[in-house]
Amino acid sequence: MNILVCISKTPDTTSKISFKSDNTEYNSDGVTFIMNPYDEWYALVRALEITEQNGGSVTVINVGPATNDIIIRKALAIGAADAVRVDTEAMDSYVVAANIAAHAKSKNYDMIFLGKETIDYNGSEVGAMVAEIMDLPYASYVSRLDISGSTATITRELEGGEEVSQIDGAFVLSAAKGLAEQRIANMKGIMMAKSKPLTVVQPVQADARVSAVKYAVPPPKSGVKLVDPDNMDELVRLLHEEAKVI
Amino acid sequence: MAQYVSLDTLRFLLYDVHKVEKLLQYERFRDFDRNAFDMLLDSAKTWADQDFYPYLREMDEQPAYFKDGKVHTHPIVKKLFKEAGANGWLGMYFDTEDGGIQLPMTITNSVFHILEAANNHLPGYLGLTSGSAHLIASFGSDDLKKTYIPNMLSGKWAGTMALTEPQSGSSLSDITTTATPVSEGTYSIRGQKIFISGGDHEGVDNFIHLTLARIDGAPSGTKGISLFVVPQYRVQDDGQLVYNHVKAVADFQKMGQRGYSTVHLVYGEEDASYGYLIGEANQGLKHMFQMMNGARIDVGLSAASIATAAYYASLQYARERPQGRKLQNKGKKEATNEQTLIINHPDVRRMLLLQKAVVEGALSLLLECSLHVDIAGSDQSETGINSKLLSEILTPVAKTYPAEMGRIAVNNGLQVLGGYGFCTDFVLQQYARDIRIMAIYEGTTGIQSLDLLGRKIPMENGRALRLLSAQIMETISSASNHENLAPYANVLGKHLPRVQQALEYLFPFALQGDHEDYLADATIFMDLTSNIIIAHQWLKMALAAENALQSGDSTYTEDFYRSKVHTMKFYFKYELPKTSASLETLLNKDKLTITDTYNDSIF
Repeated sequence: MNILVCISKTPDTTSKISFKSDNTEYNSDGVTFIMNPYDEWYALVRALEITEQNGGSVTVINVGPATNDIIIRKALAIGAADAVRVDTEAMDSYVVAANIAAHAKSKNYDMIFLGKETIDYNGSEVGAMVAEIMDLPYASYVSRLDISGSTATITRELEGGEEVSQIDGAFVLSAAKGLAEQRIANMKGIMMAKSKPLTVVQPVQADARVSAVKYAVPPPKSGVKLVDPDNMDELVRLLHEEAKVI
Repeated sequence: MAQYVSLDTLRFLLYDVHKVEKLLQYERFRDFDRNAFDMLLDSAKTWADQDFYPYLREMDEQPAYFKDGKVHTHPIVKKLFKEAGANGWLGMYFDTEDGGIQLPMTITNSVFHILEAANNHLPGYLGLTSGSAHLIASFGSDDLKKTYIPNMLSGKWAGTMALTEPQSGSSLSDITTTATPVSEGTYSIRGQKIFISGGDHEGVDNFIHLTLARIDGAPSGTKGISLFVVPQYRVQDDGQLVYNHVKAVADFQKMGQRGYSTVHLVYGEEDASYGYLIGEANQGLKHMFQMMNGARIDVGLSAASIATAAYYASLQYARERPQGRKLQNKGKKEATNEQTLIINHPDVRRMLLLQKAVVEGALSLLLECSLHVDIAGSDQSETGINSKLLSEILTPVAKTYPAEMGRIAVNNGLQVLGGYGFCTDFVLQQYARDIRIMAIYEGTTGIQSLDLLGRKIPMENGRALRLLSAQIMETISSASNHENLAPYANVLGKHLPRVQQALEYLFPFALQGDHEDYLADATIFMDLTSNIIIAHQWLKMALAAENALQSGDSTYTEDFYRSKVHTMKFYFKYELPKTSASLETLLNKDKLTITDTYNDSIF
């Protein structure tokens, strides 16, 4: 069973967010980048679990420049067998999806996994686009996956419940919390990562279809307001007019 | 999750200040690169977030205890050994032939900094197991290596260092535990050991106590001490484990590090406890010093890490707590204005900056010391020989400064929280208790100071001190080329000769054989020397930050780099001037702590 896991590079969750170029670009100065947690913790680990149980191997793919090799090596350290990097900037979701699909089409992967979204742009678009381009079924926000023969049983969490469905044959899956438990790259994995194959391929022709007009950070949190316990009218007014929660 | 460590600061110190990548030139470290180091730090942080930090408070509130003949610890200890063994954390710096990956000590200690900052009750269990196994790897026979090292590095068995006895603590020359020959290399051990950290809990199947004892007929004093492997369960020829009659009879209840077991061991009381000689007979203390030197750096690291966690805890509080109004230059406070956050009050900022100056200065020194250990072990040229000397002179300082000044830093952190700092609702009071032991573990501050002034300063006719002074002068020279740093370089240049001034006064006592006069104020000499050494670390950090700012390096933010320069200035204004008082005390001729005979009338 061969699985392709798509990984993205995102700012560390503790990074301070700021913008430059008239608020049209993310300012990466001083930012530590990590593998997108939904890709790493859930998509990659579940793929590894499946190949450990059923045989086969996990390949990771990333669309980005050579500076992304750091997160690719982490995926190899965690357990992926090999990696592919498409050497182009990830200008938008379509460019990423088109390049992943171009690679995957010739490889006959049994499944293609990726996180439900990246923690920076939160687009949730690439998985659906890859599935569409490759004409494969797509299961999004998957929190449980069981494999039996060629049939995958998929659980998705819905508002107030869950949906269970089955897919036969190859498919694309976006991973949500609960699909697997985070693995820590161990000493042996880290030392072996350097010797695992990382193939750099040239991008296919795909033009970005989206450009950012403007980014903005949320307004700063206002300070705590203390209300006298005897003044319930004021509390109600604040909750209604300022917090707008009642 | 609250912040308890800064990976940015750690990486800045490793790569920008101390240039750890220079280690990659050595054969021993050729399989590594910066990416591998970063991944290890990243993995350590993830592990610390998952299995260390969440149990910090619980381990304090549910301490280790002795009941029904057993030591009971928090269940996470068992999981810790299993994970550490499975993922290779116990053998990081070991030779590949002994099951390790030959990770530099500098990176190993960086990993431990993260783990210690997350939960200082846990890493000691791992560190002592690694240290004991490493001692066997360094001096043990092939049979001992084969029997013990794989089981210890896999986390199935744990190791301890068993030195202290009820009547013999700082003075190991007075130990009385005996070793009676049974057969070639095997001895019957009888005696008691106390304060055995990490001993006899339920997290592993067996304990390997690295024990100092005196072989029957051995010379008195330290020259008659030998080192033995004394397992709780010994391995029979057929591979079966049998009880070896070394048992815990108590777990000491402590003011801090309460989740870290500290046991009282009794050897050979009911039947023979067999011990297996490591290395040469009567060379035990010399062998043990390999582990003790490492353990001293570990203790300093633990102190620096606790103080780091306390700094971030108090910083978070200061950023969230509104209290009072900001002082205005016009001299009056507007009571109608909204309260300001306490981080805006100068005295709170002073306490926060003091913490930052201490913890980052201490960490920088510890990493430099570790780097010298790595170079000394890998480089046969004069560079390696010099690093060996520098690691030796820096080790007592790297143990003592974080322990003593870290305690003061944590107390300042507690003070930032005001009354809440004294309450168990907040973690600062725990850090204040946890860090207290660090000035006592592995040789008290008094012992470290005697080691510095009595052994490390005079060794090889003062060569280590000359090397250290030359390095400080080199940094001063580099910093003098920066307009912003030149005034501070100049100040350090004026303080540095104070060490020599003190020694010029003290050395005549030593030359006359008057060692008590020479060493009576060794702790004050430690204060003076460590203050200058930490100032040097800050000048190096400021230099690296200035270089980054000037070159437009965007690895970290401009604020990050500026904070390093700012904290250097703080250290030079608030801490470095204290060398004057230290020197004045050292040069004062009054003999107020020395008596010719036993005399307690002044008390």
